Amino acid sequence: MIRYYARLAVLSLRQTPLLTGLMVGTIGVGIGVFMAALTVYYLMANNPISWKSERLYAVQLDSWDPAEPWDDERPELAPWELTWRDAMALRESDLPLRQAAMYKVSIVVQSEREGVKPFQTEARVTDGNFFALFDIPFVYGSAWDRAADDAGQFQVVISRKMNEELFGGEDSVGRTVRIQDKPFVVAGVIETWNPVPKFYDVNNGPFDDAEEVFVPMGVGPALELYSAGNTNCWKDEEVRTYQQFLESECVWWQYWVELPDVAQRAAYQDYLDQYVSDQKTLGRFPRPLNNQLSNVAEWLDVRRVVRRDNQVLVVLSFLFLGVCLFNTIGLMLTKFLGKAPHIGIRRALGASRAAVFRQQLVEVGAIGVTGGIAGLCLAWLSLAGIRKLFPGYEELAQLDLTLVGTAIAASILTTLVAGLYPVRRVCATAPARYLRLQ
Amino acid sequence: MEIGPIWRAAMRNRTGPLLIAVQIALTLAVLVNGVFIIQQRIERITRDTGMDVENIISVQSFGFGEEFDKNDSVREDLEALRAIPGVVAATSTQHVPLSGSGWGNSIKPAPGEDAPTLNGVRYFMNTQAVESLGVTLAEGRGFDADDIEYPEDVGGAPRQVILTRAWADELFPDGGALGKAIYDNLDRPSTVIGILERMHGAWVSYDKLENVMLIPWVIPGRATYYLVRTEPGQRDRIMPQVEETLSRINGQRVVKGLETHEEIKAASYEGDRGMAIILAVVTALMVAVTAVGIVGLASFSVRQRVKQIGTRRAIGARRRDIVRYFLLENWLVTTGGVTAGSVAAVAVNYWLVTRYELERLDPLYVPAGIVAIWVLGLLAVAGPALRAAKISPAVATRTV
Amino acid sequence: MLEMQHVSKVYRTDTVETHALRDFSLLVADGEFVAISGPSGSGKTTFLNIAGLLEELSHGSYRLDGNDVGALGDDARSRIRNEKIGFIFQSFNLIPDLDVFDNVDVPLRYRGFRSDERKRRIEEALEQVGLTSRIRHLPSQLSGGQQQRVAIARALAGQPRFLLADEPTGNLDSEMADSVMALLEGINAAGTTIVMVTHDPELATRAHRIVHVLDGQVREPADHATAAAAPRPAAGLRAG
Repeated sequence: MIRYYARLAVLSLRQTPLLTGLMVGTIGVGIGVFMAALTVYYLMANNPISWKSERLYAVQLDSWDPAEPWDDERPELAPWELTWRDAMALRESDLPLRQAAMYKVSIVVQSEREGVKPFQTEARVTDGNFFALFDIPFVYGSAWDRAADDAGQFQVVISRKMNEELFGGEDSVGRTVRIQDKPFVVAGVIETWNPVPKFYDVNNGPFDDAEEVFVPMGVGPALELYSAGNTNCWKDEEVRTYQQFLESECVWWQYWVELPDVAQRAAYQDYLDQYVSDQKTLGRFPRPLNNQLSNVAEWLDVRRVVRRDNQVLVVLSFLFLGVCLFNTIGLMLTKFLGKAPHIGIRRALGASRAAVFRQQLVEVGAIGVTGGIAGLCLAWLSLAGIRKLFPGYEELAQLDLTLVGTAIAASILTTLVAGLYPVRRVCATAPARYLRLQ
Repeated sequence: MEIGPIWRAAMRNRTGPLLIAVQIALTLAVLVNGVFIIQQRIERITRDTGMDVENIISVQSFGFGEEFDKNDSVREDLEALRAIPGVVAATSTQHVPLSGSGWGNSIKPAPGEDAPTLNGVRYFMNTQAVESLGVTLAEGRGFDADDIEYPEDVGGAPRQVILTRAWADELFPDGGALGKAIYDNLDRPSTVIGILERMHGAWVSYDKLENVMLIPWVIPGRATYYLVRTEPGQRDRIMPQVEETLSRINGQRVVKGLETHEEIKAASYEGDRGMAIILAVVTALMVAVTAVGIVGLASFSVRQRVKQIGTRRAIGARRRDIVRYFLLENWLVTTGGVTAGSVAAVAVNYWLVTRYELERLDPLYVPAGIVAIWVLGLLAVAGPALRAAKISPAVATRTV
Repeated sequence: MLEMQHVSKVYRTDTVETHALRDFSLLVADGEFVAISGPSGSGKTTFLNIAGLLEELSHGSYRLDGNDVGALGDDARSRIRNEKIGFIFQSFNLIPDLDVFDNVDVPLRYRGFRSDERKRRIEEALEQVGLTSRIRHLPSQLSGGQQQRVAIARALAGQPRFLLADEPTGNLDSEMADSVMALLEGINAAGTTIVMVTHDPELATRAHRIVHVLDGQVREPADHATAAAAPRPAAGLRAG
């Protein structure tokens, strides 16, 4: 019967082209706009390391100013970053399964390769554990060891793309590349890795590309590299030399740990609290105890990675979908009241109320599917427009299979909801009323 | 005016009017808030930066190699850049204003813990700073060659600074900032030698965007930016020359990031601009859909009531009475919709303010929105109403 | 008070010319009750439309109350319909979403009466037709006869010069038809002119005078006998 109803539906819809066009158009526009907003939101709110995100934690210690909180408008927050002293101290704990301190720097790279001019790029100074921590696979070689971190050895891990540029893509382990005019030995080459958002460092551009050059933790201080990310200081202290900078209360280090289960997390929290309490006796950490461990999802949330504007647009486009829904109800009322004689005849010929109801629902469903396809086309166009408006949103404005499915489902659902009242009203009336020729 | 009977009839056949009223309510809510947000964003984007943004080029130099001497390089580069025909002025800086990167700064009008701390952003610039930015020097002077220092670290306090008027007024509300000293967090003084009428700093969402300090330093480090201001209309021609000149005179550094200041400013406001455009599209679509809905319902209602309209004409209605009837009916529905919509608009705005920290709505927008919707309703129903008026009174006597 | 001289009405399409009325002349005096009788297609409805100023005539003259109304504009004709003519339709033509009060009110609104004047007239008219108790009912809650009486009240409320009735009992059963006809007779006795169009010869006899129409023209009363002997249209078929 479904196929029969489907055929009838197509015939019926073709008989009123304007009305059908309006219905499909209205649903299409509503779904299109809503899906575009939802897509950007969904991709922005993405958890790029979802298989492990529950076990990865960003560490925050509140070493900030006793006179005012880190953020006036959100006084419960601790600073996003740590001091060098605290980062170094935390590295001594063996509680976490893995951990890495890190910060971003700006460097100049020189290649031995012919025709490759020196270029400036961003690099990450971090512990060798960084790669295992975030499940980054290696193409060649491996990370450096703890000794390299502590000593600040001139080793480097580069991305696949960087490897192409510098070494033509060959196995470059053991080869040399000059960074800040010092010879660095390639320890490994990692697979292409570009989490969206860049959860481990959302400070300057959460949707920027990941760095392509990684050097051991000790290299930063050894080469007196300042942070190319955010540095914040509160204390009235002299910070002129790099040494003074290292020992200051300025925060510029980021810290991530892996804690496999709840018990570990609790233990580590205790450890942090104990560490800070000890530091208080030395006159540091003048603010109340406020050490935070946030897993990736919590981190993205508290850092407000999904921009407010996008959230507002999702809501407004949902209201827009609502308007389209009510509009479609009106259009369907018109359509189905026009079909009343047809339905009356079918009922007179013996169709039950349920049967005509089903028949009309199939017709409604057909509108829903067509509207969904129209909506998808519009969503695709809108996303192309969004990519044009926001050049940085390349990865954020793409439809994937889940979203396509959501669009069609949302369209059918919306149309069915819209159609319930009109269909019910027409099918419920006594057939005689519509059979009277008047 | 038959408001009573129209209302009573509409109440007996509620569905159509209710559907339109709901659409109008939602549309008003989104229209009012949408237009408000758009207008706010446009205001933000178009506010006066104080700088001659259209004629400024920025470029970055990043030295490498053992022999690279930044101080020499800066002196040479500025001399070469200033020599390019069509260049009005050039200066060095550690960051480009409006780029989203900068160094924050906290200063006090007097030494001691009790003095208030006021925040802003600082730029380490060179001679011709004022001319390169195109800002208006309200009082005092710019930097001379003698003022420029080459400190070994950035931890100290500069001897001389230039402030924007906004920051100066915050520090010294009674005026007279010129010549006074401002103090850093270690109570070290710097003298204010010049006051800029207006300048914008690094971050466009920062509430202290207008607090800018210029310091006559060339700081240690391998990187620097140059700001090059050209004669009007010459910028695009001179741009490649800037890169070519720098690459030519010193090969020990990377020349990159050649951009116009317009591009940099546009990038900072990308979010606002995008939001305004998207909101405009969504709001326009919403209004269009509602308008189509009104036209649809009115047309349908006219077609359903052909006999009734003919009868009215037969018993004495003139054409304009029929038109008036439909306009009035539509106006009633629209008014119901905008009443609910006004409440909805305020509710939506309240929710946007509390949940998303957007701005509170200027109350004038609601009546403006109501008028707009009334006009929209009128235009939408005009067609069907005029068609209704054409229905002949002879329809009343037809039996088919 | 109603005078038609040599009125004709021609409908023209691209291909066909239909002479619905030819050389139609009629004189109706004040206070008369005239029936216009004829079979289906005879032009009765066209006459009705012309007489009621619902359509314009093609040739001839039409004087109402001494005034030439044949060539008036739409606004003027609307006003005359409103003030001088009371319509009674075969299918009552009440507005379904309005109650009895509001239905009778419709022509009075176009007249421009103030609200207390309208109320007075509506109540009087409903009293005349005996439906004061149903003043707030909807048409769907009334029988056919009651609906027609509301329509008559609507026609009377403006105190028209004459009532123009189109098969007033066509949609009613015999009992209701009787009572409606009695009502009309009473209204005519009180002084209102009535012109009634019908295909039912028996109904036509209840008028003072019968005018026979055939093929768009008036026929002499002598043909009345012929028409009476001719087979009546089958019951249930709608004429006009």
